[in-house]
Amino acid sequence: MNTDCWLLVTADGWGGAFRIARALPGRLTAVVIGPRLLAEQVAAAGPDEVRWTDPGPVPAEAWGAALAGAAADAQPGVVLSTTDPAARVLLGAVAGRLHARLVPAAVAIAVQDDRLLVRRAAVGGETIETLRCTGPVAVTYGGDDVAAASGAAAPVTPVELAAAPLAVIASEPLAVASGLEDADRVVSFGRGVRAKDDVSLVQGLADALGAELACSMPIADDLGWLDKSRYVGRSGNHISPALYLAVGIGGAPQHMEGVRGARVVAAVNNDPEARIFRTADYGIVGDLYDVVPELTKAVRNLPSKELEQ
Amino acid sequence: MRVVVVYKWARNPTDALVRSDGSIDWRNARMTAGEDDPAALAAAFAIAAGSDGEVLGLTIGDGDASWALARGVEQAWSVADAPSLVDNAATAAILAAAVRHLGEVDVVVIGDSRQDAGVPVALAGELGWPALVGLTSATTVDGRLQAARKVGGAAQTVLLPTPAVVGIAAEADVDRAPGMKELLAARKRPLTRLSLAELGVAPDDPESLGCAKPDSTPARVFAGEPAETAAQLVAALRSEGVL
Repeated sequence: MNTDCWLLVTADGWGGAFRIARALPGRLTAVVIGPRLLAEQVAAAGPDEVRWTDPGPVPAEAWGAALAGAAADAQPGVVLSTTDPAARVLLGAVAGRLHARLVPAAVAIAVQDDRLLVRRAAVGGETIETLRCTGPVAVTYGGDDVAAASGAAAPVTPVELAAAPLAVIASEPLAVASGLEDADRVVSFGRGVRAKDDVSLVQGLADALGAELACSMPIADDLGWLDKSRYVGRSGNHISPALYLAVGIGGAPQHMEGVRGARVVAAVNNDPEARIFRTADYGIVGDLYDVVPELTKAVRNLPSKELEQ
Repeated sequence: MRVVVVYKWARNPTDALVRSDGSIDWRNARMTAGEDDPAALAAAFAIAAGSDGEVLGLTIGDGDASWALARGVEQAWSVADAPSLVDNAATAAILAAAVRHLGEVDVVVIGDSRQDAGVPVALAGELGWPALVGLTSATTVDGRLQAARKVGGAAQTVLLPTPAVVGIAAEADVDRAPGMKELLAARKRPLTRLSLAELGVAPDDPESLGCAKPDSTPARVFAGEPAETAAQLVAALRSEGVL
């Protein structure tokens, strides 16, 4: 079984993918298309080699065809990427050339009886399916991101490859951040809040906690109760607070993707079957109109130094 | 530009029930319009409009293929016997064969699904075309394909050569239900059925050894009197060190 592995890296967040790649017995080649610093960081984690291409101002996706050609020569048995858009495009290009299977959201890969066993998260991570694969396999990594351990540093070999004519023709900084990104605590609400006037109830809790106020997509997008810069989710803010307190939020996968980095997730919902209780660490089943005032009171009653950050 | 928009190419995971043993019951769920499909359709129209082009619809599986026809697409093709597959490359191979069947195509636009994040990129790989995914929109300016995306705190505009695949990720729920007039018009628009045999593809999946629930600690859930549960939660959050 060929378990030589290519890990495709175009941006940060590769630690989890690196870990499952390194667990394979074969030779691990990290293919980095990005700044030199990124290549050096990956090299320090201890792959067998790093092939580095400096894209300069050109999108990394421009090297898809060239990498596919290089992969056809090297014939890795496993190819991995994160879900980062650029890394995925490179993965697709390589998979197409190798006629590899492409399994999304893999959380682990193992070798058993000369076959590859790929464990993948299905139905938004609610279950893990094990697939037995022959032949080359490409996967996107779907597990938690972890900081890369340091290993025996690998050499970084600069590689010149031909790029397709893609070019960034304009780049503008996005509007000033809402403060959510750096917040230590975030209180967020969803459709469980019935009227715009009731937002003040949740705001009161956020104030007591010294937290930023956020919301789910429909609150900003359909109802306009908060500015669009304040919604959390797949297409909105991706945040990593120490505490994320979700009030009246069902917990759709699109929403939860925005708080994957949160340390502790707590939820208040009147539906004990609400999806959010499957991913939250703590929850209260109850009517938010009863629970939120009590929570606000309980937080206010804490000795004041407790809330200093 | 001759633009193909791929729609209704996957089942919606919210239609799946995960049983207590971890196995998945799809409850006869059909292929549905994904959350990114309306944004992909809007991008397809924008690309065509900027280049005096046309938009062709392409769908696979057992969903209602009139979705795009009722939203302004003049004609569509459906690979109705395409199964729902775990292997994103196998799904992409079906789509690629269908795109080739449509003759000269400049751009394929597809929703950049979170669930099947490998399909748009494997489709590009199968076709051997350049691609960008995770885009917010795409259009044609002066006959050239360009796409918009957000990367590292910046809004970028990127120029692509054609043919190309562009994957659009919805920023908002933008689907607009068609009116009666559009639904009636859709019935008159040509829908061509293709089969896997005609396309010469025989997709299969890797062998599944079964499913199991992930090892995760369930939420500690407090229920009862609001004042009591509030106090319990605050105490728990303090012990976690987040208060």
